Amino acid sequence: MSSPKTIGNKAPVLDYKSAGSLLNPLKNLQFLGRKAITEPLQPRLASLNYRGFHLNDWEACVGCASCQKICDNAAITMVEIPGLKNDPVKGIRNHRPAIDYGRCCWCALCVDICPSASLSLSREYVHTCDQEHIDSYFILPDPNGMHKKHFGQGWQKTEHSDLLSLTRSAMAELEPANRDTNFNEIVHGFTPEQAVVEASRCIQCGMCHDSCPTHMHAPEYIRAIWNGDVEEAVRQIYRTNPFAHVCGRVCTRRCETACSVGIRGEPIAIRWLKRYAMDQVSHDRIKQIVKEDGKPKASGHKVAIIGAGPAGLTAAFDLIRSGHKVDVFEALPHAGGMTRYGIPDYRLPFDTLQQDIDVITSLGVKIHYNCRIGTDKTMAQLQKKYDAVVLAIGLSKGRQTRIPNSEHRHVYRAVDLLQKISSGEEFELPQSAVVIGGGNVAMDIARSLARLQKQQFGEVKITVTALEQQQHFMADPDEIKEALEEGIIIRDSCGPQGCEIDKSGKLIGLKTWKVVSIFDEEHRFSPRYDETEETIHAGDSVIEAIGQFADTTLLGEQLTEKLEWNRGRIKIDPNGRTSEPWLWSAGDCVSGPDVVHAVADGHRVAASIQQQLTIKTNKS
Amino acid sequence: MNSAQSQSLNVLLQEIEGIQLTHQNQRRLRADISADALPALLALLRGRAGYVHLSAISCVDWIEDDQFELVYHLWSYETSILISAHIRVARDPGIYLSVFDIYTPAAFFERDIHEMFGLYFEGSPDMSKFILTEWDGPPPMRKDFDSEQWVMDNFTWQDYHPDWLKQIEQQGGGVVKSADSSRKSS
Amino acid sequence: MRPENYQAVNHPPSHEYELNFGPNHPGIEGNYALKVKLQGDIVIEARADGGYLHRGFEKLMENRLWIQNIALVPRICVPDPVPMEVCYSLAVEDLDDIKVPERAQWLRVLQLELSRIAAHLFTFGGHAATTGMYTPMYWGVTDRDLILDLFEELTGGRVYSIYNLPGGVRQDMPEGFLQRVTQTMDYIDGRLKDYDNLFFTNQIFIRRSKGVGVINQQQALEWGVTGPNLRACGLAFDVRRDDSYLIYDQLDFDIPTEDAGDAWARTLVRRMELVESIRIVRQVVQALPDIKGPVRTPIPNPLAWRVKAGDSYTRVESSKGELAYYIVSNGEEKPYRVHIRGPSSMHAVQVLEKLSVGCRLEDVAQTMFSLDACPPEVDR
Repeated sequence: MSSPKTIGNKAPVLDYKSAGSLLNPLKNLQFLGRKAITEPLQPRLASLNYRGFHLNDWEACVGCASCQKICDNAAITMVEIPGLKNDPVKGIRNHRPAIDYGRCCWCALCVDICPSASLSLSREYVHTCDQEHIDSYFILPDPNGMHKKHFGQGWQKTEHSDLLSLTRSAMAELEPANRDTNFNEIVHGFTPEQAVVEASRCIQCGMCHDSCPTHMHAPEYIRAIWNGDVEEAVRQIYRTNPFAHVCGRVCTRRCETACSVGIRGEPIAIRWLKRYAMDQVSHDRIKQIVKEDGKPKASGHKVAIIGAGPAGLTAAFDLIRSGHKVDVFEALPHAGGMTRYGIPDYRLPFDTLQQDIDVITSLGVKIHYNCRIGTDKTMAQLQKKYDAVVLAIGLSKGRQTRIPNSEHRHVYRAVDLLQKISSGEEFELPQSAVVIGGGNVAMDIARSLARLQKQQFGEVKITVTALEQQQHFMADPDEIKEALEEGIIIRDSCGPQGCEIDKSGKLIGLKTWKVVSIFDEEHRFSPRYDETEETIHAGDSVIEAIGQFADTTLLGEQLTEKLEWNRGRIKIDPNGRTSEPWLWSAGDCVSGPDVVHAVADGHRVAASIQQQLTIKTNKS
Repeated sequence: MNSAQSQSLNVLLQEIEGIQLTHQNQRRLRADISADALPALLALLRGRAGYVHLSAISCVDWIEDDQFELVYHLWSYETSILISAHIRVARDPGIYLSVFDIYTPAAFFERDIHEMFGLYFEGSPDMSKFILTEWDGPPPMRKDFDSEQWVMDNFTWQDYHPDWLKQIEQQGGGVVKSADSSRKSS
Repeated sequence: MRPENYQAVNHPPSHEYELNFGPNHPGIEGNYALKVKLQGDIVIEARADGGYLHRGFEKLMENRLWIQNIALVPRICVPDPVPMEVCYSLAVEDLDDIKVPERAQWLRVLQLELSRIAAHLFTFGGHAATTGMYTPMYWGVTDRDLILDLFEELTGGRVYSIYNLPGGVRQDMPEGFLQRVTQTMDYIDGRLKDYDNLFFTNQIFIRRSKGVGVINQQQALEWGVTGPNLRACGLAFDVRRDDSYLIYDQLDFDIPTEDAGDAWARTLVRRMELVESIRIVRQVVQALPDIKGPVRTPIPNPLAWRVKAGDSYTRVESSKGELAYYIVSNGEEKPYRVHIRGPSSMHAVQVLEKLSVGCRLEDVAQTMFSLDACPPEVDR
C-alpha cells in the first residue's frame, strides 16, 4: 500500500505526478481474474438505524399530529379510525398518521418529535408499483411494516435525537422557611423570559383543549404568550373562562394530565402560563378586553342566580353579555364561594379572586350580599320575579365520619374551619390536630392550621391521616410535598375508628386501623382493615375533611317535594335544567367540587337559559 | 489576523464617508454604507487592501421598507477577514450599478439577482435569463410572490383511495381535514 | 418530395455552426447545457445554460421552519451533500449563539471528510469517462459506495444523510463504527495505487488533459475560482485552514497544490486531497474515542423555535470549493432569507464559458468535468 499507516505524518511523495509508462494501465490486467461484483436480487439488509418505511405503535400513539406538523413535505395526514380508544381526559385521540410515500423524504423528523415515541422507521426500503396501484403509496403505518414483512426497526428516537424539550422552565416560589408562618402566596409565577421558554415547549396538539371541562383555548393562549402578546392571551382565556385568575392558580388542570409532552416528560405548565398572562395585563386593561364585544342589546329578561361562586358568576357573566338582567344572591359577605372561603390565601390571594369578580360585576352583574335565600327571600318569590333561576349553591357542609365520639366539640369539619380562617373569625386554635382525609381540602386545612400554629405556638403539630396510600392521595402531589416541607406529618393507609377521649372528657387523639383495601371486588367503597395494627394519633382536636355536601334547605319543603331527585342530588338534564322548567342547577352541587367544572357548568346553564329565553322572546 | 492589520484596515475604511463598521467576530466585519459609496469602497478594498475575491452578492427583499438590501461579501487572502458590505436600494424602480468592472464574478450574481428579484444592474454584461428561461411570472424571490399559492394554483394533489381508507370511511372515520378541526368545541 | 414545413439550412460561409451541448451529456453530473459555437471543431463561443434542475431551494427555505430545512439542504448538491447540511447548521448556530459539543464537531469533520472522499471518487470516475475511459468510472462509483455504506450506518441514509442539525448531530455513532471506517480507509488507501496505474499515470489521460482548460493564477483570482480548481493554479488556500471552522485547526493536514492550472492539475489536486482527507479521517478515528460528552446541544421545541434576528455569512470548504450560506433571520420561526453561494455557480458559468473557448469539441466535456461543477447547486 502506498499510503502511510502512521497518522498525522505527511504523506510520502507519490509517483503519480511523473508521467507514467504507457504500459502502466496494463498492470490492471491482474483484475481480469477477479470475480465480478454482483448484487443479489433480494434487497440487501439495511443498517441498524436505517431510515426506511414508517412503523407506528398504535398502542402508544395518541394521535397528537405532531408528526404532521413537523413534516416538511406535507406527507403526513391524520386519519380518524373509529373503534380506537378516544379519551380526551387521558389525552388520547383515535387518529393515526398515514404517510404519502409520494411525498415523504425519510428525514425522520417525525420520529424525533413524536411525543409518545410511537413512530419509528424500519429497515425496509423497497416498494414499487405501476400507475394502476398508485394507492399503495398511501400507507397507514403499523408495527408490521409496509409489506407486513417485519424488517425490524431502523431509525428510532434516542436521547440525542429527541427534539422535544421535556423539562419545565424553572419558576421561583417561597422556600418553606419563608412561608410557614404567613399566608403569602407561595408560587411567584413565571417571569416573561421563563414564560416564553415554557410556552415554546408546546406542540399545539390541542389535547389540553379537549380535556378541559370548559374547553379553554390553551393552545391559542400559549401561542400568544410565546408571541409576547399577553393581551391576546387574555382574550383567548376569556373566551371560555371568566375565572381566569382563579384557574391560573388553583385549577385541577386536567389539561396537564392530557398534555402530549407529558407522556415522556413534564407537561407544559399550562396553569402557570394562564396565570402569567393574567398577571401581566393590568386589571383595567382586562376589563377593557372583556368588553371589546360591545354592549349587548337589552333583552328585557331577568335571571336570578343563587350563589356567587364560580358556577353562578360564570352563568351571570354569560347571561349579562347576552343582554339579560342578572341578580346574584349570596348568603355570605363576599363573592367567590368555595374559592373565597375554602381555598387558603397562600394558594389564592383574596384580592386576586376579587379581580375576577370585579371583571364580572363591571359588566353590570348585581350581587346581593348577605342575602340568604330561604330566609331573606324565598324561592317562590324568585320564581315569580325572574324568568329563570339558577341554583349554584355549591357544597357548603362538611361530611362527617360518624365514628365514635365524633360529636365531641373539638371535632371539626374542615370547610367550617377554613371559612372561619378566611373570614378572620375568632376560633379556638388547636395546639395539636389530626386531620382525616387525603384530598386537597385536607391539605388546605392542615397547612392553614400549621401556619397559625407556627405563628402562635412556634411549632407545628398536625397529622394527616387518610385511607389511601400516599401515592394515591386525591390531593395534588405538589400540595403533599409542600405540606411535608412545612412540618406536617402524613400517615397513609389509616382508617379512622374513633376519637379518643380521656376521663376529663378532653379529646386526646384519633384511633385508626391499618387499611388493607379500600374497594371491594365490584369497585364499591368498602374499606377493610387490619385490626391488629391500631394507632392512636395524638391531638387535642380532630378535623374531618372527607368531603362536602350541598345544603338544600333553602328550597323549602314544597319545592323539595316537587323536584325530581337522583341519589340525594337534584336531578338535572344534560343542560343543567331541573325538572322545574324555570330552575337550573350548576356547579359543585351538581358536578362535585372543582372550579373549572363549575365554570363549565355555568356556561352550560347560561347557554340553556339563553336558548330558552330566545324561544320565549320569539313566542311573545 | 493580527491587530495591526485590523487597525490599518479600520483606518483605511474610514476614508469612506458615512461608513459604519461592526466587528461580528474575529473574521467577520460588517460595513454599512450608502449605495452611492459602495463602488468607492469596493475599489478601495480591491486596490489597497488585497480584497481580490468577491465571494458573493446576496440580495434581501425588505418589502416592508420597500427596499432591497444588497450584501457584497469580500474576502482578502491577505488579511483573512471577510467584509460584508451592506447597502439598501429602493425596490422601485429597482436599479443599481454593476460592479462588474471591479469584480468579474459580479456578473453571475447580478444576473441571478436580476432574474430572481427583478433588480436591474446598469453596466452588467448580461442581464438575460439564466435559470428561469421559460418563466414569465414575477421575479419569484420577491417576498410578494407566494410560491406556495402558485403551486396550489398550478398543481393538483395526488388523490389516494386505498382499500384500507375506504374501509375506515365506511365505519365513519376518514382523513382528518386539519388538526384544529378535530378539536372539541365548547 | 420535401415536407411542407421544410426550411433550407443556411450554413454560415465560415463553416461556423452552433451546437446544443446537453442538457444530458457526459460532461457533468446532472443536467446542464452549454450552447457552443464552433468553427470546425474548435469552440469559438460558449454560453452556459442552466435551470434544468432549478427547484427554488432559497424560496422554499423561507417557507419552512428552521428545523425542516435540514431535510432540504442536502438535496442542493447530490454528489457532496454533507457540507450543505453542516454549513446550514453552522450558520444557524452562529445566528442563535448555539455552542456545539466537541464530540459533535469531530463527528461532523469525520462525515465531511468522508463525503469529500466520496465526491472526489465520483469526480475522478466521471472525468475518466469524459476521456473515454469507463473502467475508472465504475471503480470510482463502486468505491464511493463503500463510503455510502458508512454513511448509512452512521446516519441512517446513504446519500442524504440529514445527520447534522443546528446544535450538533442527531445521533451518536454506532458500536464499532470507527473500526469499519478504518477498514474502508485502508481499502481506499490500497486502491489509490490501482487508480494511479489505471488513470492518473495513464498516458491517455495525461496527454488528453494536459494543457486543456488552462487558468493561470491571476485569472483564477480574477474569476472567483475557489477550491481544488484554485489550488491547481498554485494558490494554497483552503477555507478549512484559512477561515477555520469546527475543529479543523486541531488537525494536521496539508493543502496540496499544482501550478499548471489545467484539467490535469485540477484532477491531480483532487487525487492528492484524497490522501489528505484519509489522513484527517484517521486522525478523527484516533481522537474520537477520547472525546466524551453529548453530540447535540438541545434546541428549543422545533415547532416553536425562533432564531435570533441577525445575519450570518458562513463558509465551508466543500469538495468543489468555497460553499457559503448567507442567512438572514428576522427573529421568526422561519428564515427570512437564505442565499446559497455554491462553488459551482462560479465555475460552471463564467469560468466554463471562458475556458471552453479555444477547446476542441471533444475536450469540452473534460474541461467541464475537471472544474467539478455540480448543476443542482448552480440552479438551486
